[in-house]
Amino acid sequence: MNAAAPLMILAGAVAVLLAAIAIRRSYFLSAAITSAGLLSALGVIPSVIGAHTSPGLFVFNGESLGFIGLILAASFVILVIAYPYWNGCTKLPREEFLLLLLLATLGATALAAANNFVTLFLGLETMTLAMIGMIAYPRYRGQAEEAGLKYLVLSGMSSAFVLFGIGLIELSCGSLDFSAALSAAGSPMMIAGLAMLGVGAGFKLSVVPFHFWVPDIYAGAPAPSGAYVAVIAKIAVLAVLIRVMSLPGAEMSSGVTDAMTVVAILSMLVGNLLALMQDNLKRVLGYSSIAHLGYLLVAILAVGAIARVAVVFYLVTYAITMAGAFGVVSVLSDADAPRDADRIADLRGMFWTRPGLAAVMTLMLLSLAGIPPAIGFIAKMYIMAAGIHTELWVLIGTMVASSVIGLFYYLNIIIVMSQKPDEHRAVSRISLPGRLTMAAVSFAVVGFGIAPQPLIALLKTVFG
Amino acid sequence: MSLVWLIVIPLLGGVFAWPLGRAYPLLTRIVCLASLGLDLVIALPLLHGAVPQQGNWLAAFNAPWIPAFGMSFRLGLDGMSWLLTVLTLLLGMFSIVVSWREIEDGVGFFHANLMWSLAGTIGVFLALDLFLFFYFWELMLVPMYFVIAIWGHENRRRAAIKFFLFTQGSGLLILISILALAFLHERQTGVLSFDYFALLGTQPGGTFGFLVMLGLFIAFVVKLAGFPVHIWLPETHTEAPTAGSVILASILLKTGAYGLLRFVVPLVPVAAHEIAPVALWLGVASIFYGAVLAYGQSDFKKLIAYTSISHMGFILIGVFVINNLAWQGVVFLLIAHGVSTGALFIIVGSVQHRLHTRDLGKMGGMWTDMPKLSSFGTFFILAAMGLPGLGNFVGEFLILRGTYAVAPEVAIAAAVGLIPAALYSLIAIQRAFHGPADASRVQPDFGVRENAMMLALAAAIIWLGVYPQPILNVAAPALQNLTAPPQ
Repeated sequence: MNAAAPLMILAGAVAVLLAAIAIRRSYFLSAAITSAGLLSALGVIPSVIGAHTSPGLFVFNGESLGFIGLILAASFVILVIAYPYWNGCTKLPREEFLLLLLLATLGATALAAANNFVTLFLGLETMTLAMIGMIAYPRYRGQAEEAGLKYLVLSGMSSAFVLFGIGLIELSCGSLDFSAALSAAGSPMMIAGLAMLGVGAGFKLSVVPFHFWVPDIYAGAPAPSGAYVAVIAKIAVLAVLIRVMSLPGAEMSSGVTDAMTVVAILSMLVGNLLALMQDNLKRVLGYSSIAHLGYLLVAILAVGAIARVAVVFYLVTYAITMAGAFGVVSVLSDADAPRDADRIADLRGMFWTRPGLAAVMTLMLLSLAGIPPAIGFIAKMYIMAAGIHTELWVLIGTMVASSVIGLFYYLNIIIVMSQKPDEHRAVSRISLPGRLTMAAVSFAVVGFGIAPQPLIALLKTVFG
Repeated sequence: MSLVWLIVIPLLGGVFAWPLGRAYPLLTRIVCLASLGLDLVIALPLLHGAVPQQGNWLAAFNAPWIPAFGMSFRLGLDGMSWLLTVLTLLLGMFSIVVSWREIEDGVGFFHANLMWSLAGTIGVFLALDLFLFFYFWELMLVPMYFVIAIWGHENRRRAAIKFFLFTQGSGLLILISILALAFLHERQTGVLSFDYFALLGTQPGGTFGFLVMLGLFIAFVVKLAGFPVHIWLPETHTEAPTAGSVILASILLKTGAYGLLRFVVPLVPVAAHEIAPVALWLGVASIFYGAVLAYGQSDFKKLIAYTSISHMGFILIGVFVINNLAWQGVVFLLIAHGVSTGALFIIVGSVQHRLHTRDLGKMGGMWTDMPKLSSFGTFFILAAMGLPGLGNFVGEFLILRGTYAVAPEVAIAAAVGLIPAALYSLIAIQRAFHGPADASRVQPDFGVRENAMMLALAAAIIWLGVYPQPILNVAAPALQNLTAPPQ
């Protein structure tokens, strides 16, 4: 089978979904097509992972297919979260959201497998444009429209940086191929081009100082879209970054390492400090994601076998946990309402009114804070192990300090949930798919937190 | 395998207790008591067990856990961990009984947290893989945090966050230290392992060894609430519900001492000797600081909390004298303090339950209307003070005796610390139990449940005081493990 099968299946699914919506609008059918597309693309990965292909515009080796698998799995989880969220929506046609999700996933997988600046840009733009649609989807919410517009303007600017950078690189080495660009010596023009690409990547990864868009967009977007922006976009960009960094000739000079160290330190501290002052859960998650990207940079800066797996392990943890946390918000919210139930005060008394959901949220917060028995604990240990192995003492010290700061706001949310509710608010029932997803995510968080070996073994065989 | 059950049974007990709480609160309590009782039945016979080829170990278990990092699920039980496990189980049972009337909201979740915290603590006492130890170390905190944050008194929120930040933050130092130690071991031998016995051979020296030691030392002293990192203790112990205070003071503090004895002293012996003079004087400072502040308290519960800091000063001294006699005293005092302070927190809890205040100024004269409560209170305050014939005296005496041989000036200073101890003890008795009674106060004295608990604890403290030899016999071989690492 062709190694590009996952991408082709996704592209086919997009076409089928378009046709299906044109013929007959059915939310259930559209969701079935979307999930069939995602799952079958995911299903073929094991059979193509061994196939030997020579890299061209795309590269399909174990690493890129591993990232594609991660993207597909995470997209599926977000789809399952999004389905019940839009199910009750009466103000809009709901099918196109799924189309946007599928398109964005196609872009993300293309990005993860890109081996050429053309495919990189193509994947990046497909993903970004679809995401803008997802963010601004509930057009009756002013906040969502605002967030979509902000994302449009800012990501347009970052795309301009990326495009300019690509142009400079092409000018200096005469090729758009990654390995050709890396083998060319560091001429000033090349350095300028790479720096511009770095700015673009920094924006997509929302590390400090390119993080200003995060809170508004996370808070304005409907919860499933927020989860998508927080999880998939970051995995795809990191996938390309990690792959390129492992190519020959990509050894970082000390200047780059120093810059990344500063970015990592600032991201950890700024993310956690600003999260302290928020009263909106989605904003907290936004700032927390900035800090988590800072932790990830520690593992990226570390070298060696432990560090390679640490990055991916942390990414998997981050994906599960963020999806779970946004999932709780999405389960609590009503798509027709003018805003999501995303204020921390909205969670008040959840331990008494919805003990199960409160327990899930607690688990997610513990995982984000890195406390056992959640998987986040193992992930944090992994990063610390990688950092200590490479003796990155400053980064490890910052990580410890900022994790302690982070505890404040995670614990604060747990405390709010444990307070007695003021009055008896009507508690709506959570749909069955919502319950099942939350149960599955919690099971993964606790299961891999207690017995991480199967996951580590899998990641080692794919990425190691 | 029975060691695994010791941890799993309370965990499962908590899992089953949670859903029962809403409809059958009584059944929840019984399930928890029964699972701790079952644990006790498993634990007691282990005292006569033996592990082949490992002379001083009573039971062991080993299974792979995360082979990618050389982490295993390795448990081991020696005399010291046996004593502390049994103490945990017994006081765990008391803390369930003491919540019988006090906790009426969220009974299921409360007991689940109690049980999980106990399971984590037992795991800490049994783990012989450093990462597994750290895992349990962190695991015991979260449920305790909930116990304080949800069922605590007025300032519970602040207290719970303070508790968590201090213990979690210092916990990360443990993680750094054990990772550094394991990587050093990998560099020496080529094998990445977190096994206790493997790492005993690492013996890091120089600055590196000192930093590894420092990470562990700070974390364990925070847990032990030694001066000057005791700041979390008074508030946390005061704001927690009675069961939480009992577990915090009687059991969780002990994990700090256990960590110092089990890990710091054998794993980094050179650096431990280097820090010893500092640790000894920190211990003296804790004794005085705790005692003087206890004297100044008007909150009965806070007074007891400060006395814990004072007593833990003796423990800190005893550990870092690094001789067998003082260590015997440390293990002994850990148990005696667990019993006496647990009893005192139960008494303060029942005072608060009756009078709805912890303010000593609003008490007084309780001996007239609550003679049983007052006499037990007096008895346990005297026991905590170190009255000869009662348990704490034996532990403190052994520690002072062991210290005098090595550092007489420290021993003298610590012994002088017993004078303020007498002061705060007597002033507490005076203000709480004596004086004119408040006539309008109509409160029942101790009932059958409370009397039974108190009698059991009093019998234990008297037994410890007059016939300490059995405990010392159990602890002695375990303490040899610390100086003579097995093959």
